[in-house]
Formats: sequence, structure tokens, C-alpha cells
Amino acid sequence: MNIKRRDFTKLAAGTAASSYLFGAPAFAQQKPIRIGLLAPRAGVAAIVGEDSIRGVQWGVERINRSGGIAGRKVEIVIQEETTPKETIERFRQLVLQDKVDCVQGLISTGVTLGVAPVAEDERAILMCWDGTTQNGVQETMPKPRFVFRSTDNECEAVMSSLLTIKYFKGKFATIAGINPDYSYGRNNWEAFRALLTRYGIETKVVSEQWVKVGSTDLTANIAALGAAKPDLIFSSMFLADLPIFMRQAQAAGILANAKLVAPAAGVQTNQLKKDFVPEGMIFGHNTLYFAHPQASALQKQFVGEYVEKYKVMPCSSADRAYFNLMAYKAGVEAAMKTTGRWPKTDEIADAIAGIEIESLGGKARYRQDKIAEQMFYQGLTSNKNAFDYPTLARSDGVFSDRLQKPAGADFWQWIKTADFPV
Amino acid sequence: MAYANLMLGGLFQAAVLFLVASGLQLVFGVQKIINLACGSFYALGAYFGITVMVYFLQSGWPIWMFLPILIGAGAVIGLIGVPLELLLRPVYRRNESYQLLLTFGLLLMFQDVFRYFWGSVPLSVDSRLYGAYGTIQGMGLHVPVYNILVILSSILIAAALGLGLSRTRIGRIVRATAENRNMAEAIGVNSATIFTIVFTLGCVLGTIGGALVIPTSAASLTMAAELVVEAFAVVVIGGLGSMRGALVGAIIVGLLRSVAVALFPETEILAIYLVVVAVLLFRPAGLFGKSAA
Repeated sequence: MNIKRRDFTKLAAGTAASSYLFGAPAFAQQKPIRIGLLAPRAGVAAIVGEDSIRGVQWGVERINRSGGIAGRKVEIVIQEETTPKETIERFRQLVLQDKVDCVQGLISTGVTLGVAPVAEDERAILMCWDGTTQNGVQETMPKPRFVFRSTDNECEAVMSSLLTIKYFKGKFATIAGINPDYSYGRNNWEAFRALLTRYGIETKVVSEQWVKVGSTDLTANIAALGAAKPDLIFSSMFLADLPIFMRQAQAAGILANAKLVAPAAGVQTNQLKKDFVPEGMIFGHNTLYFAHPQASALQKQFVGEYVEKYKVMPCSSADRAYFNLMAYKAGVEAAMKTTGRWPKTDEIADAIAGIEIESLGGKARYRQDKIAEQMFYQGLTSNKNAFDYPTLARSDGVFSDRLQKPAGADFWQWIKTADFPV
Repeated sequence: MAYANLMLGGLFQAAVLFLVASGLQLVFGVQKIINLACGSFYALGAYFGITVMVYFLQSGWPIWMFLPILIGAGAVIGLIGVPLELLLRPVYRRNESYQLLLTFGLLLMFQDVFRYFWGSVPLSVDSRLYGAYGTIQGMGLHVPVYNILVILSSILIAAALGLGLSRTRIGRIVRATAENRNMAEAIGVNSATIFTIVFTLGCVLGTIGGALVIPTSAASLTMAAELVVEAFAVVVIGGLGSMRGALVGAIIVGLLRSVAVALFPETEILAIYLVVVAVLLFRPAGLFGKSAA
């Protein structure tokens, strides 16, 4: 067939116009949906990245087995989350070069702060697994359209504070904190103390320890805590530093005399062995407690298959990643239903908020301000189980609408007045 | 007694720091090379120590035997110093900047070697090891016996090193080479062999230090660079090339860090480097170093 230049131009213009008016052409709809993942793969946060990727992989297999998202199979493209600068470059590569339909991932607040404005600029959907400390959401980007943020990172500290009041009130007078030396750790420690004060618990801070990112040498911190002899220790460490701290603190006799509150310990479940984790400490599993007695069929299937495949327990990172995958799927399907064709990126982004998802750890959804809402699980540890790490003697579950500030509120003002489920 | 716990914590750190810093001092004293890769030897000892401990625990040997085996593992992997020293030979007589760049390159290369063999996730050993020797308790004191054993091991190694250098024939040859390489060669000393021995010994001290921290800590890709920061503080305070300086510098840095973390946690590194700056300003050769003049 002999096509003249004028005919070709007409054909190209017609194709472009129909793409614009009616969405992507039919052949594009048969291509797999590509989800780009940005996950830490090295260093102390690698365990979080690995668990998250496994959660997504499990979800993708499940989606593809049941026909994909609106008939399109899903495939993932993985890139590493490192520094903000490098991760922004990888984000651009995923969007511009790999042509992914959506990017999910990110753990660090510092990195999300860098990548989020780029996502808005590129009009690309970015769904964050984590990285939402108050410094990350202090309205640097008040009304994002394409960026979806996780629950406030302080949720688990708020819940731990409330459980401390519930279980330990009247049993401690001196407190110490050993927390990560970045916004997450600093905010959690401040929130913990603010809530104790709000509920009239007078305490004296006898030691404040700050652990640098990636540090695995805690000898000096342990010696300082041993010298301070606190009645209660609050630690929001959750990376490789937490098992080191627990092991050394147990050997130094610190845990024999002090109550321990660890809101984010669940990430290290597999490393926190019974022989150095005391019973009766407040232990946070974030959004997925692997041994929840009322776990859904979905959670039981996931945990069972995960343990069989990887020989370790999953943690909340897998749940957060799975939730985002399913929220994107639900958004695509809802937008498709509304438009009657394959939806455009902004239509998908607009459709995601408000849809309730059954995630691995329970119900979850995105608010209209594109902040996630999920279930949180914490409780007192017990070593009476078949595992070599502790479970919860009793699991308290609270939906995050009771633990995180409402849209537009200032966190520090909100915790002074909010109606908490004490 | 609270402060006794604090001091013992500081001494534990000092013990490990001394091992690495003494290796650094030994190499500089004899070969005149500032070895930035000393942190990598420390990390190598840690990673290899973990591998050996995994096999040790599977072997069913009595658990109390782990400390001598850990020290042995550190010593064995330290023999990597023999081939590495060959790599350094071309830069012995070149400007210090070449030596720094080469050893810095080694530091970075080792990081990828660790990533290749052991992965990028921090590794730790079975928690039973740390408590295997029990705890000293009483009168407010609560110290794991392992910490005391590491301090004692370090003292023994320091004593052996001191005696070896001052009382043995090879020690005298090493000191003679350190004093004047050309003169030593003129009277028949094979300086190439001495350099290999000294560099390997420096390497072994670092790898033993790394192996010894494993029951209390974890092996990670960043541990090498972290240690270099402290080891150089030890060397500057004690005086470059002085073994006695390494000992005193390590004790100062270890105790200072412990006290700073307990009283003013934000000043952990600041406190150490304030002393470093003061030493550089008022006693540039360090407490036990020889003045350049």
C-alpha cells in the first residue's frame, strides 16, 4: 500500500485526537499495566524494602490470576530508594523511560519530600508506603493531586502512648527515650511525652538517646541508659538497631527493671528472639499483626504462603505495599466505570480517595486529602507461643482515624485536644 | 555504681578501638602509610566472624568456646594482609596523597566485596553468644562478662604486642626499620618481608577487633566508614605512629563518648573532635607522638 505523506499526517492526527478524546487506543489496553517500585534494597532499611516488594509480588500474582486490572495484566519494575537526589532520578526514569503507569514505594520522609513535588510536576501517580512524619506533611504540598501519602508516622507512637497510660499508669516515675535521630524518632518521643503530660502523668526524663541512621554500635547508649536507671524506656527504633539494642539492654540488666514501649518493633519480629525480649512490653505491629486471633481469611492466606515461601514472618511493610497496589487497582476500576473507557492518569488519581480496600491487616482507604487510613495493632508481649519470638498476649486494634490528625490540622495542637480512645 | 557501668561501657569501646588503631599505628610507624582501609579490615573481621559463628553453632561445640574461636577467625581472615601489602608496594615512596587515595579506594572496594559475599542487609549472630559467659551483678553493677573478656583480651594483645616489639629479635628489626629503613636495609634487613609482616599484623589487629564486636552488634556496610572516624581521632590524640598513644587515645575516645552520650547525647562526636582539635592546636604531634621538628 502506498501511503502519501498527507495521508499519513491525517492518520497520525486522527489517532492522536481519538486518543485524547476516548482515552488510550485499544492496542495500548492490551499492554500490561506497569507499576514502578522504589524500595530501599541495601543497608539497615533493606528489610523493610524486601518485605514491601514481597507484599506487592503476592498481590500482583493474585491480581494476574484473576484476570488483571480491568483485563490488563500487571508487571512491576523495581528501582532502589537511596538518597533524595538519586531517587528523584530513578523516579523520572520509571515515569519517562520505563513508562510505568504508577509509582509506589518510598520509606524515608526525606526522600518522599524530594520525590513528591516531582510526581505532581510530571502528573504521575505516586503512592507512598511510608515516609509521612509530620515534617513530611506540614503542608509543604497542601493539596496534592497525584501524590498519596501513608498514615502519619506518629500514629504508632500515639497508640503506644495511649497503651502506656492504659497498662502502666502509676507504675513509673522516670522515663528514658532511645530513638532514631531523625524526624520520625524525634516526633515520636515528643508525642509520647506530650500525651503523658496531657493525661496528667508526671514523669522525669532521665535520659534521651539518639541513634544515628545505620548505626549498629549502641554500646555507649546502653551504658548511658544503665546509668540513668529509668522506670520506663520508650524506643521507636525499628531497623537493624532495635535487635542490637534489645540484646545489649537485656545483657546489661536494663530490661529487668524497666518497662519497655516499642511502637515500631514489629518490623523486626523475626530478629527479636524470646531470650532477650521481655514479656509484658508494649510492642507495636503497625498495620499487620501476623498472629492476630481474628485475622481475615486474606491475612491468613498471605501469612501462610509468605512463611512457606520465605521461612520468616511478614511485617506491616508488606501490608502497606499491598494496600497501595489494591488501592490503585480499585481506582482504575472505579474511574473506568465512571468514564466508560480506559481512564487517564488524573481520572485514576481522582478516583482512588474514599474507596475502602480489604488490605492484609484489615480495612484501609485513602482520605480525600490523599492520606491513608489503616488499622493499627499493638499490645503486651507474651512468650507463650510456638515461635521463637514473642506474640501479643492481647492485641489492641485501632483504626487510624482515632490516631492521626484530621486533614489540615496541626499535629501538635491536635494531640492537646483530640478525643483519644484511652 | 551507675558511673562504673558507664566507665566499663566506655572501656569496652576503647578495647575495640585500640585494636584497630594499634594496627593503624603499626603500619604508619613502619611503612609510613596512613591506611584508610583499616575500617574495612574491621568490617571484614565482623562479617567473617559471623560466618564462622554460624558454623560454630551448627557444630554443637560447647558455647563457651566461641570467644577463642572468634578471635581465631579474626586472626585467620587478617592474613588477607599478605596479598594486600603487595598492592601497596608501588606507593611506598610516593607522595602521601597517592597512599591516601589508594587506601581510600580499598575502603570503597571492600564495601562492594561485603555486599557481594554477605549481602546488603545488616547481619548479626545468635543472641545466645552475648550472654554465654553470664553477667557480673551486684552493688549496682551489671556488666556482661563478655564485655570484660573483650577488655581483657585487648589488654593481653596490647601486652603481647608491646613485649613482641621491645623484647624479641623480630621486634627489634621492626623498630629498626621504622627508625631508618635505608640503614636497616644496609645492614641486611629484608624490608619487603618486614613490611609484609607489619601490614599483615596491622590487618589482623583490625579483623580481630571486628570479630569481637559481633556478639554485641551487627555487621553492616557502613561500619567501616563509621570506625575510621573514631580510629583517626584516636590516632591524632595519641600521636601518629605511637602504640602507647593508640592505647591512651582509645581510652580517651571510648570514655569520652560514653560520658558524652550519657550527659549530652547530641555531642557524641563533637566531644571527641573538640579534643582532637585541641590536640592539633596545642600539641600537634599528639600526646605520645614524635614532634616533626
